[in-house]
Amino acid sequence: MLTALAFRNLWRNRRRTLLTLSAMVVSAALLILCLGVYAGMIDDMLTTTTRLYHGHVVLAAPDYHAHRTLHAHLPESAADLPTPAGVTDMVGRTPRLRAFGLLSAAAGSQPVEILGVDPVREPTVTTLHRQLVAGRYLQAGEAGAAVIGSTLAKKLGVAVGGEVVVVTQAADGSIGNDLLTVRGIFTTGDSRHDGRLVVTPLPWLQQLLVLDGRIHEVVIAVANPLQAFADADRFNAVLPAGIEARDWGDFLPEMREAIVSFDVSRVIIAGILYFATALGILNTCFMSVMERTREFGLLLASGMRPWGIRRLVLLETLFLGLIGSAVGLLGGLLLTWYMQAVGIDLSGTITPITYAGSTILPRLRAVFDPGNFLFPVVMLVVVALVAGFLPANRAARLDPVAALREE
Amino acid sequence: MTLITLANVFKTYRHGSLEVPALVDFSLVIDSGEFTVLAGPSGSGKTTVLNLVGGLDRPTSGTVTVDNLDVGGAPAGILADYRLRRVGFIFQSYNLIPVLTAAENAEFTLMLQKVPRPERRRRVVALFHELGIAGLEERRPSDLSGGQQQRVAIARALAAFPGVVLADEPTANLDSHTAEELLDLMRDLNTRRGVTFLFSSHDDRVIGRARRVVRLEDGRLASDSAAHR
Repeated sequence: MLTALAFRNLWRNRRRTLLTLSAMVVSAALLILCLGVYAGMIDDMLTTTTRLYHGHVVLAAPDYHAHRTLHAHLPESAADLPTPAGVTDMVGRTPRLRAFGLLSAAAGSQPVEILGVDPVREPTVTTLHRQLVAGRYLQAGEAGAAVIGSTLAKKLGVAVGGEVVVVTQAADGSIGNDLLTVRGIFTTGDSRHDGRLVVTPLPWLQQLLVLDGRIHEVVIAVANPLQAFADADRFNAVLPAGIEARDWGDFLPEMREAIVSFDVSRVIIAGILYFATALGILNTCFMSVMERTREFGLLLASGMRPWGIRRLVLLETLFLGLIGSAVGLLGGLLLTWYMQAVGIDLSGTITPITYAGSTILPRLRAVFDPGNFLFPVVMLVVVALVAGFLPANRAARLDPVAALREE
Repeated sequence: MTLITLANVFKTYRHGSLEVPALVDFSLVIDSGEFTVLAGPSGSGKTTVLNLVGGLDRPTSGTVTVDNLDVGGAPAGILADYRLRRVGFIFQSYNLIPVLTAAENAEFTLMLQKVPRPERRRRVVALFHELGIAGLEERRPSDLSGGQQQRVAIARALAAFPGVVLADEPTANLDSHTAEELLDLMRDLNTRRGVTFLFSSHDDRVIGRARRVVRLEDGRLASDSAAHR
């Protein structure tokens, strides 16, 4: 009966309760949307860096990443090492060889990073092949072909089908040079890739560098990038000497910090939004308690203990919190669904922004993350209970004689 | 058998720096099964006596004992339990909870006592029948007349089978006909159930129906006559 009483008490002043509930619903729904869009931005940033180029876990010689020296290479068979137990969300892995040199065409020369990839396996790990704005991606068995960034193409004055000369130092100390035909041009939005990356077939680059059967790294993609840290540890536990696994956070420390700061931001945003909501709940509860002073006097006279009164008022705020959370969750789900399915295209207004080693794309898009729903909902219930504590305490501490005398 | 004893009770209320005496050296003994009215003008101390006997207030000095419990000195928890199990209250303005039905209002004390729901309902339905309000169980207080609301309040006071029922001006908000009916009903319950009734009134028609009249003036006992009619 206490539960029924608490629930019915909510609707004594229907308009006031509905106003308070609407504030709670809007707060929860907006917070869910806000977190979804924020997570979408983080997801975009993470995807543009890891799925465009870095991957999530990289196997390489221990000293390779510090200096990217040509000589810190691995056998190509490293790309097929057994997957450790516990790494269950791997979606692909691919071998790579890397060199730095000059790319020349009629319009001049540009310093470039030459990435030798397996044209079949690379697309299972990165999405560069989807960023083509002209031509096509590399094909298996193809030699002397390249896919280059759009800014680089523009600087060199080459188009698809055009030829460029590559010059680099080979592993034996000789100068490696060859002619490449541009088969495709990509635009990623990241100026570092668009302005200096040249993607070539792995066998061709191995031959140019005199590193037959050798690679510099094996790049692995997993389904959940945030689990890559644990996956790298699992690889390190079983990898042979001379090879170590690193996660994307080692290459993109700013990005890792940005993600950590997301959790802090989430709490700050929720704190600001819910503070105002809490004041609304507090006001409603106080008004409700003040109006029922005489009734609380009766309950105390009937033998109800102060904690019973406290429980009654807190039950009312709990119901308020649960209803607000449920409807807010529904609203948040719908808004997030819309922003995930449709989103807002800002490409007409702003260009991609490079931040923390990644790229913020000119769009607003939400992602579904259970934590972004659970957190606002649980927080709203907690806020309702906290806001209800003061009125509940006031009601519980009433003097029954004075309360019964209240008009 | 003595049920209620007030011995040399003083009760003083403080309003800022002003001390207002509500009861001055007040003593009274009430036996079990009595039907007693506290009569007197407003401010004479009637409600204070009821509050002290009901364990809602404590005396400034003196002792209040009900059924061997020192109501004036018992800890808050014991007093809450005392109010829950041994006293029933009836108020001038009924004080029903508007969002509960008539039956739920009457059941409320039993709910606090954790009496199972079927037993609660059985008792309340019987009481409603006895009080002449059968069929009104599911109505909200706002759908009841003043007399019906006060009968529901009586049902609430009696549902837990208390030893004493304290009624503060229970007929003040009712017309004379309904007031007389209600008083007859309480007298009847007193006779048949043996419940001790102690109520306050300044209405001479009500006072005339009491078996014992205790008059108060300025917080003092003015007269005490056992008037059996």
